[in-house]
Amino acid sequence: MPRYELALILKAMQRPETAATLRRTVETLMERGAVVRHLENLGERVLPYKITKHNERHSRGAYFLVDFYAAPDILPGLLNHLHRDVDVVRPTVLKKDDPVPSSNCCANYGKDLVYI
Amino acid sequence: MLSLRLLQRLNPVLSQHGNTSLRSLTSQVVQQKDDMLVKMENPYKEPQKGCVLCNVRVDFKNIQLLSQFISPHTGRIYGRHITGLCGRKQKEISKAIKKAHAMGFMSVTHKHPQFMKDPNICSIRQMA
Repeated sequence: MPRYELALILKAMQRPETAATLRRTVETLMERGAVVRHLENLGERVLPYKITKHNERHSRGAYFLVDFYAAPDILPGLLNHLHRDVDVVRPTVLKKDDPVPSSNCCANYGKDLVYI
Repeated sequence: MLSLRLLQRLNPVLSQHGNTSLRSLTSQVVQQKDDMLVKMENPYKEPQKGCVLCNVRVDFKNIQLLSQFISPHTGRIYGRHITGLCGRKQKEISKAIKKAHAMGFMSVTHKHPQFMKDPNICSIRQMA
């Protein structure tokens, strides 16, 4: 199954409410057949710009990152669900690509292309 | 007649092919090998230097790194002639910055004040 990353920005709430929201989100993921690999807290920060969502103007948010494996067909339904959730400010699902380690160096790029 | 004698004497010295009289007594075969060009790699070749982000993984979460390539006044992404990055890395940085903008990680119109004191990578002269 392909690997996805959910960058979740939640409303700035108290700890028990944030925990409840996260629990709800992960349970939704698991219900749809996703396997959650890792959940990271990137901290609570001031948002880079004011975001209006669910008739509320947010200036602070809690950033979370969820790594999961899922089938591609659940993504539209999942995003729809997350957009409807009142506590979620901005959900974004990205595909996670494994980085290419050896050919990352650009110093060796084009060596075979140069005519000496 | 004298000139004939002179010519006869000068002839072996002046002859162009096989100047054996002027060479040393070592064998002719070794001399030929020393004169031939030896095939080798350029010994003065400098190691190829890559751009600043060679072997550095570019991520949309790493906004401190991404903020080093934007203008502090307007938040605009610097071009290749200013950042000095290679084609691949410039594209990666550009894509990551736009991703961060869309996802709500990085501001569009300015640079985060926390990152204003970061060292200057780009060749543009920053005013205080």
